[in-house]
Amino acid sequence: MSRFFTTGSDSESESSLSGEELVTKPVGGNYGKQPLLLSEDEEDTKRVVRSAKDKRFEELTNLIRTIRNAMKIRDVTKCLEEFELLGKAYGKAKSIVDKEGVPRFYIRILADLEDYLNELWEDKEGKKKMNKNNAKALSTLRQKIRKYNRDFESHITSYKQNPEQSADEDAEKNEEDSEGSSDEDEDEDGVSAATFLKKKSEAPSGESRKFLKKMDDEDEDSEDSEDDEDWDTGSTSSDSDSEEEEGKQTALASRFLKKAPTTDEDKKAAEKKREDKAKKKHDRKSKRLDEEEEDNEGGEWERVRGGVPLVKEKPKMFAKGTEITHAVVIKKLNEILQARGKKGTDRAAQIELLQLLVQIAAENNLGEGVIVKIKFNIIASLYDYNPNLATYMKPEMWGKCLDCINELMDILFANPNIFVGENILEESENLHNADQPLRVRGCILTLVERMDEEFTKIMQNTDPHSQEYVEHLKDEAQVCAIIERVQRYLEEKGTTEEVCRIYLLRILHTYYKFDYKAHQRQLTPPEGSSKSEQDQAENEGEDSAVLMERLCKYIYAKDRTDRIRTCAILCHIYHHALHSRWYQARDLMLMSHLQDNIQHADPPVQILYNRTMVQLGICAFRQGLTKDAHNALLDIQSSGRAKELLGQGLLLRSLQERNQEQEKVERRRQVPFHLHINLELLECVYLVSAMLLEIPYMAAHESDARRRMISKQFHHQLRVGERQPLLGPPESMREHVVAASKAMKMGDWKTCHSFIINEKMNGKVWDLFPEADKVRTMLVRKIQEESLRTYLFTYSSVYDSISMETLSDMFELDLPTVHSIISKMIINEELMASLDQPTQTVVMHRTEPTAQQNLALQLAEKLGSLVENNERVFDHKQGTYGGYFRDQKDGYRKNEGYMRRGGYRQQPSQTAY
Amino acid sequence: MYSRHAQRITPGNKPGKMASRKEGTGSTATSSSSTTGGAGKGKGKGGSGDSAVKQVQIDGLVVLKIIKHYQEEGQGTEVVQGVLLGLVVEDRLEITNCFPFPQHTEDDADFDEVQYQMEMMRSLRHVNIDHLHVGWYQSTYYGSFVTRALLDSQFSYQHAIEESVVLIYDPIKTAQGSLSLKAYRLTPKLMEVCKEKDFSPEALKKANITFEYMFEEVPIVIKNSHLINVLMWELEKKSAVADKHELLSLASSNHLGKNLQLLMDRVDEMSQDIVKYNTYMRNTSKQQQQKHQYQQRRQQENMQRQSRGEPPLPEEDLSKLFKPPQPPARMDSLLIAGQINTYCQNIKEFTAQNLGKLFMAQALQEYNN
Repeated sequence: MSRFFTTGSDSESESSLSGEELVTKPVGGNYGKQPLLLSEDEEDTKRVVRSAKDKRFEELTNLIRTIRNAMKIRDVTKCLEEFELLGKAYGKAKSIVDKEGVPRFYIRILADLEDYLNELWEDKEGKKKMNKNNAKALSTLRQKIRKYNRDFESHITSYKQNPEQSADEDAEKNEEDSEGSSDEDEDEDGVSAATFLKKKSEAPSGESRKFLKKMDDEDEDSEDSEDDEDWDTGSTSSDSDSEEEEGKQTALASRFLKKAPTTDEDKKAAEKKREDKAKKKHDRKSKRLDEEEEDNEGGEWERVRGGVPLVKEKPKMFAKGTEITHAVVIKKLNEILQARGKKGTDRAAQIELLQLLVQIAAENNLGEGVIVKIKFNIIASLYDYNPNLATYMKPEMWGKCLDCINELMDILFANPNIFVGENILEESENLHNADQPLRVRGCILTLVERMDEEFTKIMQNTDPHSQEYVEHLKDEAQVCAIIERVQRYLEEKGTTEEVCRIYLLRILHTYYKFDYKAHQRQLTPPEGSSKSEQDQAENEGEDSAVLMERLCKYIYAKDRTDRIRTCAILCHIYHHALHSRWYQARDLMLMSHLQDNIQHADPPVQILYNRTMVQLGICAFRQGLTKDAHNALLDIQSSGRAKELLGQGLLLRSLQERNQEQEKVERRRQVPFHLHINLELLECVYLVSAMLLEIPYMAAHESDARRRMISKQFHHQLRVGERQPLLGPPESMREHVVAASKAMKMGDWKTCHSFIINEKMNGKVWDLFPEADKVRTMLVRKIQEESLRTYLFTYSSVYDSISMETLSDMFELDLPTVHSIISKMIINEELMASLDQPTQTVVMHRTEPTAQQNLALQLAEKLGSLVENNERVFDHKQGTYGGYFRDQKDGYRKNEGYMRRGGYRQQPSQTAY
Repeated sequence: MYSRHAQRITPGNKPGKMASRKEGTGSTATSSSSTTGGAGKGKGKGGSGDSAVKQVQIDGLVVLKIIKHYQEEGQGTEVVQGVLLGLVVEDRLEITNCFPFPQHTEDDADFDEVQYQMEMMRSLRHVNIDHLHVGWYQSTYYGSFVTRALLDSQFSYQHAIEESVVLIYDPIKTAQGSLSLKAYRLTPKLMEVCKEKDFSPEALKKANITFEYMFEEVPIVIKNSHLINVLMWELEKKSAVADKHELLSLASSNHLGKNLQLLMDRVDEMSQDIVKYNTYMRNTSKQQQQKHQYQQRRQQENMQRQSRGEPPLPEEDLSKLFKPPQPPARMDSLLIAGQINTYCQNIKEFTAQNLGKLFMAQALQEYNN
């Protein structure tokens, strides 16, 4: 007991030592171990310091009382039960008993019980009246007690010889108790004696209960530590709570009886405390004196009560009457913090304690500095609550944390004179000197960053398809709000570095969101002023584009760490791409030169880079720039690990290759679900772009032996399609694209179109775009154009000439477009033809070699290289050394040069003549 | 699925096959009548006179059996093989019968071919058929028969039975209208080399072997009994003109393309081979240089020692010090060269014929107009 409160002021603990009859254990020895240090100003009135012995004995007396009650009502069954418990409790108390000798009251109950049982046994009539259970219990109990009492024979006989003495003692004790209670009455503003008594008896029961509970835990090795823990919980949980629990858990009637008064008493105690405090403040000077007095009082009081029951009370931070000053509170805070991180510290309790402390500080108007300080620590310990970094915080805890940060921000905003910073040393903190600006150590930014991290973790660990996820996602707005507040705060007070960090945080919460409002605004430019006013009201807040621009530019200009800038650039690009500002996005990407060195970045940044590239590709696709789209997506798609590269899931295949540790790390890298990029959309965009590029290319280079594939993946899909033994109507997105490709190969754009754009594909892919209709029109046009090209490549050999009008009809393109496409093809020497203007026809030149001619050309090429190789063999044969031929060649060249020079020399001589 | 697959692999094969099926009945007529042509074609590059066999006389039955065997079992690039039976009369090898080897797959790896041959021959002897083993036949795919496998087995045949020949049957060419059946033997020179089993560049050089003198073609005569000849005449009279004029088909691209493709592949191989040989040469010359340098150094040292009066350093085994690089076997490149040669012959022949046909067609067209 005193161990819990440890370090108690020397005078106090000494006095209690001296005052208490029954204190047996030396208090000092345990000081070092105390994990949780409560105020040293603790007073006995509030805190009852109890030794292990007291506790045990309380337990025993308690049981004894129950037995006596049961004896009175002749409930032998109850007696039996309680007796067994008593035996056990006694066994536990054995060590103390060994030191102290068998306590009188124990002997007395044994003797009395035996007598009582014998009496009952003799009373045949009464026995007959008894019910079966009782009779049975009686016989067993009688046998048991006989056996049991054999060990205590000497004690019992001595007791029987001299029962008065013990009785006297008992009476005395009772007297003292009542005295004590009356003392307390005065002390505690009229807590009635009755309540006190109840309290008294209750406290030990609570104690024992807890104790028993603890015993179940196998990891408890020493009683001391158990005690400690008991007290921790006891002291931290509020009174009424613990009492209620007790009420529930103890079956005894007496417990129930006590309940009402105790809560009453609680209130009173609290009141009293407050009063005390007020009083204390009132006469500060006499504080020391007061305390001493109280010490004395406490000592007396304690002594009176002896080893029995203790006041069960709300754990109080400070002793009654202690003046709550800054120093005191800070000291307390430090005490609590010291326990942080130690084994066996109850983290929940710590948080409670800190919250209590904040209340106290607030109640006592200790100034914002202290409160801020404590708040910092509360948040920190909230984060600490989970010992394992890998697991995520409970959402409730996180919610608390949010509230705390909000409160903290409130204070900080309300008090601009508070300086908060990591670099402020503990020593240089100024928590209460109102004259100077308050300085508090702690970094709001770190807290917010951590909070954000935890949010991500919570999102990662929630099933994305559950309602729960949606609920959590709603908190995102709160997170954003906090970030915004912190941003505002730091803009005023923070260093550029901090501002960069908070900006990045803001950016990270902005970049992936499509700004529908801004989009809407763009679509409907303000027509009338009256309408725009209304709009303005709706569109409060700046466009995310503007916001991003502002934040990013600040970071580009001010940031010194490469990482933040890289992230900001990527997010900026992503945001541009998301809003279809392709050229800005592309230029930014090219200017940043990120492609060159991204492989040196850490994985999360790489994931962000991949996401950005993908978004860029999709953006290009929306703009109809298939080639750019294809190039941007190629890296991600060709690996076949898009899922992994985007941090949207782990691949099963590589699961075996990595160990648990790696897997955990990778899991932590995953992007929360609401940031995911739809993989099917991604693949579809890639495949369609590949189709638009590859099919005309294939048609143009059909017979070219050295043609390369533009997209391996697309070819793979085609091959898969070919391997199908039976081709049904396409089901999946891939099948659709393959079917469309086949149609396009034949120049059949209508079929191709119907395969690419239909209900199924709309649902799967196209509707996911913000401007789905625009994309679809673009796509149709692209399909028409590329089909036309493919058609020309494939069938130009069977035409002598072809009318452009026919082509325009076939592909439903207007004549100028057809004209421009064909012209481009001719210029690029893809199509050997010429345009006949008057008749609007394309005249084929038919210079394309036939298959045989192609083969022959290839053969000629190959033979050429063969001959070359062969000549090299010949070189070897010619010269003794490897370099012979080269030398000769050089010599030949030299000769040539010489000749030429000679010629040159001749010329001037000629002119000279 | 299966048929699709097959079609994809050999797009040009199907019409050929169909045509050759028709051939099965009618071709004997043409071939028998063109026996002299066949013999004439086989100019016999290796016909240096010291060969044991000057002429191969094939029974019509054998030709039909070979064709039938391919029809039934050959598929695309797969080849069919079989044993030729007959006997040698003076310098003429008469092939009077044959039987096929069963196609054996991976499953029946324990199938004993020798056992099967012996059994077959014994059974045939019981029914009074020539049972002397005089060679073997093999079908080919666009004339790609000059391979190591053929060389090895022909060598073992010729080693055991001196007069044995290999008959190469080209079903695709046959399908185009003229029976393509050729008899080959290894030249005595090549036999020598093969016996030595030394295919190093030096050995081949010494043996003075080039791709032209690897195989010698033996002229073939197809012989039928008079009765059959009579029947043929009669059949020819009855048959419609169109039936026997695949020969006049103007379609050429497929065949030519295929040949070019194959030729290109071989050229590629040849190139690789040459590169390999080149590196070998370079390595040797480099080593030679090193050796030379080493010797010079040693010599200098010895001179110095001598001047100092010390005993010269002992001679070391240079070949141990400088292991010459493994020379690449040249036989493969020889074979490839031979194969290229065959292709070229094929193409030349084919184009010559086709040109003729085209001119003829042109003339006809003009005449009609």
